[in-house]
Amino acid sequence: MEKVLLRNIEAKDSHTLAVYESRGGYRALKKALTEMTPEQVIEEVKASGLRGRGGAGFPTGMKWGFVPKDSPKPKYVVCNADESEPGTFKDRLLIEKDPHGIIEGTAIAAYAINSHTAFIYIRGELSFGSKVLKKAIEEATQAGYLGKNILGSGYDLDLILHRGAGAYICGEETGLLSSLEGGRGWPKVKPPFPATHGLFGCPTVVNNVETLAALPWILDQGAARYAAMGTEKSKGTKLFSVSGHIRKPGVYEVEMGYPFKRFLEEDCGGVPGGKKLKGVIPGGASMPVLRADEIDGVRMDYESMQAAGTLLGSGGVIVMDDSTCMVKAAWNIARFFAHESCGQCTPCREGCHWMEKIFSRIERGAGGKEDLDLILSVSGNIMGHTICPFGDAAAMPAAAFIKKYRQEFEEHIAQKSCVVT
Amino acid sequence: MDRVKLTIDGREIVAAKGKTVIQAASEAGISIPHYCYHPKLSIAGNCRMCLVEIEKMPRLQIACNTQVGEGLVVKTQSPKVLEARRAVMEFLLVNHPLDCPICDQAGECRLQDYYMQHDLAGSRFDERKEHDRKREIFGPYVVFDGERCIKCTRCVRFLQEVTRTEELTVVNRGDHSTIALFPDQILDNPLSVNVVDICPVGALTDRDFRFKVRVWYLKNTPSVCPGCSTGCNITVGSAQDRLARFKPRINEEVNGHWICDEGRYCFHPLTEVERLTSPLIRQEGGLVPTDWETALRTAFSGLSAAPPPAGLLSGRSTNEEAFLFRRFLKRISSQARLEVFYQERELTEVEKILKSPDRSPNFRGALDMGVGSDGGLELLLQQLVEGRFRSAYVVGEDLPAVRRDGQDIKGALEKLSFLVVQDTHLTATARLAHVVLPATNFAEKEGTYTNRKGRVQRVRAALVPPSGALQDYEIFARLLAGSGEKITCQSSQQVFHQIASEVPRYRGLTYERIGDQGVQVQP
Repeated sequence: MEKVLLRNIEAKDSHTLAVYESRGGYRALKKALTEMTPEQVIEEVKASGLRGRGGAGFPTGMKWGFVPKDSPKPKYVVCNADESEPGTFKDRLLIEKDPHGIIEGTAIAAYAINSHTAFIYIRGELSFGSKVLKKAIEEATQAGYLGKNILGSGYDLDLILHRGAGAYICGEETGLLSSLEGGRGWPKVKPPFPATHGLFGCPTVVNNVETLAALPWILDQGAARYAAMGTEKSKGTKLFSVSGHIRKPGVYEVEMGYPFKRFLEEDCGGVPGGKKLKGVIPGGASMPVLRADEIDGVRMDYESMQAAGTLLGSGGVIVMDDSTCMVKAAWNIARFFAHESCGQCTPCREGCHWMEKIFSRIERGAGGKEDLDLILSVSGNIMGHTICPFGDAAAMPAAAFIKKYRQEFEEHIAQKSCVVT
Repeated sequence: MDRVKLTIDGREIVAAKGKTVIQAASEAGISIPHYCYHPKLSIAGNCRMCLVEIEKMPRLQIACNTQVGEGLVVKTQSPKVLEARRAVMEFLLVNHPLDCPICDQAGECRLQDYYMQHDLAGSRFDERKEHDRKREIFGPYVVFDGERCIKCTRCVRFLQEVTRTEELTVVNRGDHSTIALFPDQILDNPLSVNVVDICPVGALTDRDFRFKVRVWYLKNTPSVCPGCSTGCNITVGSAQDRLARFKPRINEEVNGHWICDEGRYCFHPLTEVERLTSPLIRQEGGLVPTDWETALRTAFSGLSAAPPPAGLLSGRSTNEEAFLFRRFLKRISSQARLEVFYQERELTEVEKILKSPDRSPNFRGALDMGVGSDGGLELLLQQLVEGRFRSAYVVGEDLPAVRRDGQDIKGALEKLSFLVVQDTHLTATARLAHVVLPATNFAEKEGTYTNRKGRVQRVRAALVPPSGALQDYEIFARLLAGSGEKITCQSSQQVFHQIASEVPRYRGLTYERIGDQGVQVQP
């Protein structure tokens, strides 16, 4: 497998312009600006089969195609660097170790949709990453890769770095746009969609860091080489952030379709300390957990994960061994979502906190048998009824933990205490 | 206009392109429950109560933000929809306090109403409720209860989009989200209390109305605000023969959905006075009670003996009253000069959204009835002060109190040979009179007002006048009868009949035609 996203990070000072250029950096941008039209860039990205790596997996080229070409309004590209999905830290690695790859990718996307102002919205907590990016943007501007008349092509692009202020919901694309506009990070009612009415009501494309970071390689090496990797519907490679009860945690670049069980046991070294795998969340805390007996035959791509009853999501792999109390784990996740709910719409505002309160009560031994079906019911009442996918993101793990570990929950309730620890 | 055909609950509906499903449904008589949607405000889409099923769409969609489309098939009563509504209701009630017994909104509360219509299930919430500020004073007329609030943001949007004063915003996150004043702000703009009307629950309530009466005891009378010549349509709420509150009544041609604070509360100064209990006549320097026959006879002979009379009519008098007032005074003397009271004042930008720069709701109607001419009031008062009139008939205005040159006018009135004053209470002007005639206030009248723009609207009686008073039109009719004129006036409607036949602009109008929304007459 060729390294696409992690091709530079092992090099010393990979974050500097000099090292980036010496490794072929900005070749793709030059090619796009001087040899390709914006439409050709879009076609190339479509041909590559690249899908959004933030969690939704929407085909990137198709998303760009929704931007109305003849709109008189300014168009915007926003790099979503608000990485906040629990268990996910791949974008942070790219930001700190390969910021120019993100900058180049953002510029390519901007050129493709005729945007002259792009933003990188970075979560406020990544203050070190912000500094690295800021420096990289300065370097790139001085070298003429950003600003006016880039590389003599006549194309202008301003890239603005904007720091968030600490909210998971600002990683939802329209929540991000609301925040970027200076307002509360409230997601926007859709329709209309950002492609036609985004930032300040103008056509906007929001892409994840990892998605944009793949663009330089795709343009440089060709869409066909990217599409040669992966499966029929999930092309290329993806970054997985592995954490939890695993021997070798970290960020891994994996070809789509790789067997999940082999990945955990071989590439990541398996569960340490003589413990057994109990459960693993494959795509970030909002995705349904898989029991140890459910991962056979599952492959690391969008389709296979969906067939297994979960989702690839952001690729945040959280491994839990048999010392883990699943009640506590579920409560932990419920607490996160209750804390991060923006509060705009009724089901999420009231439902997320309600579920957290029930989990809390079960965990400390005051649960009743009917509480499990109650959580399932509340979860079902949130799903599909909210303004944005946050509601689903909170509802899915709550239901999944109870469905997958029902017996443990029932025992915990009956015993009024944890049955594992 | 482009129209599309869609199906709602099996019914084929034709709707204009650009409308949303909730609007199209409403126009077809199908009501979809909702909290945050308001026809005059931007779409928020946060309550999720209006979720409906749309064929070919995997998820339920909010009707308030779904455009109508050709061939759209909408279901508002499917099992999925009913389940979603119950879910939203349950969520809304999770942290909602059980305040109904002490909450003013009871009886006109959407939570209550929708619970009865769409829910009726018990809540399964068995945890501690979140708490918030109760009874926080937002402004002189508005008080906030954070626990009752359902964060629909109607109030925030109203203040952003209609008054553009932006006093309120949402703060905090998740289920700690709440409504708050911006720092150093008070909710005191001239249209502030409209937020109470649009709040679907008892989170924002009217301090003036607080705890006064349960809304189901109110008699509701459609009428027109007597505050100024805009003529905002109102519903007068009264109980036990006392006025309790004004609420705005929708009229897209006049006030939309709104009313200004001053208008909303103007019934207090206009009706909370000590009412005259009988006519009075002057004897040996003092005013003494008498009967109507004596009072009217004395008034007639006194005015007849001292022409020419000046006639000063209140801006709150109706068209019917103005019509008869003029007829009577012109019968006394063709040199009679009549004017309707009118005084301009400055308005702020926010006030200009609704208000007119006067306090005379029917100055325009009075002019149409022949009472006065443009700019004539100043001339008449000047002439009065100069002593050009020997008598005067003042109806419904306490001149010294409302004019800057009040003292001059008082002096002039004192020098008159004969003064008749008709009002609801013993004003300073009335104390100078030779005859005082107790009459009715706007809440006790049937009649019409013509607003500044020429719209004729019905004023209706919410209250019964006190026993000592007569309707103004009846007083004028009796005076006319006493002067020998043949007149049948058993109701204000009969008077309006005559107006419709004699005043060209009002030709063809009837109370029925005017209805509850009024009729525009030609300029």
